Amino acid sequence: MTTTTTPAPLSLAPRPLSTRVAIVVRLLFANPWTAIYTPLLILGVVFLMNMAIWGIVRASIPPEGEMDASINGGVLFLFIYMLVVAVQSVNQAFPLALGYGSTRRDFVLGFGVFALILSLGYSVLLVAASLLERATGGWGIGHSFFTTDELWRAEWWEGFTLSLIAFLLFFSIGAATASVYVRWKALGMYAFWGGLVFLGIGGAALVTLLGAWGQVGEFFVWAGVLGSAAWSLIITALCWLAAWAILRRATPSQG
Amino acid sequence: MTTIVEARGLTKRYRGITAVDGVDFQIARNSITGLLGRNGAGKTTLMHLLTGQEFATEGSITVAGESPVENPAVLQHTCFIKESQRYPDDFKPKHVFAAAPGFFPHWDADFARELAAEFRLPVDRRIKKLSRGQLSSVGIIVGLAARAPITIFDEPYLGLDAIARQAFYDRLLADYAAHPRTVILSTHLIDEVADLLEHALVIDNGRILIDSPVDALRSHAATIAGPAEAVEQAVAGLEVIHRERLGGFVSATVAGDTEAAAGRARAAGLEVGPVSLQQLIIRQTGGTPTEHEEVSR
Repeated sequence: MTTTTTPAPLSLAPRPLSTRVAIVVRLLFANPWTAIYTPLLILGVVFLMNMAIWGIVRASIPPEGEMDASINGGVLFLFIYMLVVAVQSVNQAFPLALGYGSTRRDFVLGFGVFALILSLGYSVLLVAASLLERATGGWGIGHSFFTTDELWRAEWWEGFTLSLIAFLLFFSIGAATASVYVRWKALGMYAFWGGLVFLGIGGAALVTLLGAWGQVGEFFVWAGVLGSAAWSLIITALCWLAAWAILRRATPSQG
Repeated sequence: MTTIVEARGLTKRYRGITAVDGVDFQIARNSITGLLGRNGAGKTTLMHLLTGQEFATEGSITVAGESPVENPAVLQHTCFIKESQRYPDDFKPKHVFAAAPGFFPHWDADFARELAAEFRLPVDRRIKKLSRGQLSSVGIIVGLAARAPITIFDEPYLGLDAIARQAFYDRLLADYAAHPRTVILSTHLIDEVADLLEHALVIDNGRILIDSPVDALRSHAATIAGPAEAVEQAVAGLEVIHRERLGGFVSATVAGDTEAAAGRARAAGLEVGPVSLQQLIIRQTGGTPTEHEEVSR
């Protein structure tokens, strides 16, 4: 079968970058359970169970008894969960996006937008919940699940900034780790984790040798909570650069 | 003929292995080309190079005159469906079909739904739980409904039964007629797709062995069968690429300009038949002519 008329030549004007990036974002959000519904569901269950336990303890002490204020790590799972989302998204969506005609650059940018949307969304959620918690006197029973007042009494925007910076850090670590796997598979993972352990132990040994642990502690005191978090932006930026540099020459697995 | 894909001295070497070895070829716009060859011949690597997913070691490949590597202008026109395509673990087919329209501007959602029904694909089941054949039909549906100007299928039928494969071929041909596009189909089920193909590229060991319109391939080969002596007379002077002997009876496959020989053979009362594309390619890639003796009891 041959066509008799000469077809119009293919248009070689690329679609705008924003469209191409939006396509990737849409792919990453195609199943909203992955990054939104499931973590929210878990957060809800953890919160309710936490409340129930707090209520039981509260009820079992005499009314005049004082309960030590609580610090709760219940929301921390959300950060780890997002790290896993980042790893899976890069590892599993990268070959699919490339097969469907995305460039590596569009994919990395799309993943960045995906991570930013989630980081902003979850930070807003956590801050809103902590404000509500404070306003209701700890849900009426003095429970603190979302607030960190005992550890760090923060303004709402401080809490929001810390949370945003932390989410971005976890996303970037996940993206960088996954890109090592996408490009070099298991061998890359051995080298990566081996190198990380080496750096960690080496760094600790160096600080010990120099007797500088005091200075390390002083640095964090000096920088403060937000300041320390701000310094982590360097790690975040390096991870993004690494992910981009690694994925730029990566090829989808053939097996 | 408008050339849409052109490879020049294209080479891809992995550590110690030359997967594609200095190939030159062209693919015509809006045609169906078969990329045929054995497993490990270099078909998949070639398709990865064509879609910019692999980087050429030497030489070049262009699509619409431009390199496909990291080139959104070219890649927006391509759809690459491969047998080994991985999907995110928690995806269902409906998620794939929801994300696909963004990548493919010509996506036809009704057509995708129709195909899903025809292939009996459970669109609401996790992809991890799909059978091998159902997984293949996800790719086939995307490949057809995308209507991408350059559609590439890499052995897309794994696990599909004969009926579903036939449905794929029928749908591909019908949709191709209605919406002409460039289709590249890699397969080793050569006879099944023979009627679909206009052009055959046969690759073996990373090199192009045959690059020819399918019609020409067919008309340049014939099987002549009959009593040994008469057959040998009829094929004298022709290149015999295969010979099968059963007692005093010989069936010879000849290549080259077979018209005259076929006429002589018919006149001598011998049986003249066409050679299937698959037979022809097996003979041609087999290298040396084979002498095959059946032991008669």
